[in-house]
Amino acid sequence: MIAAEVVTTITKALPDALLVASLGTATSAVRAVTDDGPHVSIAGAMGGAVAVALGLADARPDVTVVAVVGDGELLMGASTLWSVAGIRPQNLVVVVLADGVYSITGGQPLPAGCQAAAVAAALGLPSATADTAAELAEALTTATVIEATVHERVWPGPSPFVDPHAVRLTVRSRLGA
Amino acid sequence: MTTITAGAWAAPAADALVDAGIDAAAFVPDSRLDGIVSRLLEREMVVRTLTREEECFAYAAGRSYAGQVCAVLLQCSGLGNSLNALGSLVVPGGLGIPMVVSMRGTLGETNPAQMPIGVATPALLNALGISSFAVRRPDEVVPAVEGVVAMARAGITAAVLLESEIGGGRDRG
Repeated sequence: MIAAEVVTTITKALPDALLVASLGTATSAVRAVTDDGPHVSIAGAMGGAVAVALGLADARPDVTVVAVVGDGELLMGASTLWSVAGIRPQNLVVVVLADGVYSITGGQPLPAGCQAAAVAAALGLPSATADTAAELAEALTTATVIEATVHERVWPGPSPFVDPHAVRLTVRSRLGA
Repeated sequence: MTTITAGAWAAPAADALVDAGIDAAAFVPDSRLDGIVSRLLEREMVVRTLTREEECFAYAAGRSYAGQVCAVLLQCSGLGNSLNALGSLVVPGGLGIPMVVSMRGTLGETNPAQMPIGVATPALLNALGISSFAVRRPDEVVPAVEGVVAMARAGITAAVLLESEIGGGRDRG
């Protein structure tokens, strides 16, 4: 898969989901696929995207929240997987764009393989790896943490540098908050 | 050996958070904050123990995107862990988060490792554009807590600094 295909698959499988995209490829992909829809794009705070999604999911159990994060992003805040395992919100899904590199800074390799699904499984969280869109669509119905293999790095298009105030206002409006 | 004694101000501080209408609190454990957390739980507040302070701010930011106010309770050493989350998510996003900071590295500190961040805490916050309000007397706690929650509702992140003079929570031999 490429990143945009991952996001397209998420929006088809879970059309009402609120997406939380980490800085970089994930943000660009969510902006491109949703045509700048009312989702949370994070323009900084590397390592914090899953925790933002956890807070949103905890605040709004009636809303499905999907964190779309790079694998480098996940590693920087990996301990949040332990927090997810402790809270176990039923309305949160974490999809990791697993391409093995830090894409936004030029494709430098991660220090070690992602292993998000294996770590999540060790923590008792339903998890899956998905190599194809079909596998991802299936995993989205069962798993909390999904390691989506990104075989080819293709920059989705839009800038990941969003206006943080616009994001806040747009998302609160969507949630009626 | 560590004994933990809650200051008499702790329960009123927690009551002030609840009565000011916070929706949740996130924290990384600290002995001086224990009395606040115990009382928050008695009041049936949602309290999440998370793994790292910057994670608490990101979690609280998520709550804020949902229109809620989530307090973050942390020891000042954890502020050092949190600078990027505050500087690149919370402050630029106008996501008001009330902070209650248990100070180390101030009057009477005996652990040299706590000194630099403790000394720098007000300056670090100020450098990010975050106001902080030091409290040293029990009767200062409730108004300070009420103030930072009100500021959070207006999208302003601000901090109450619980200074060592206030007592409670730390008695190490």
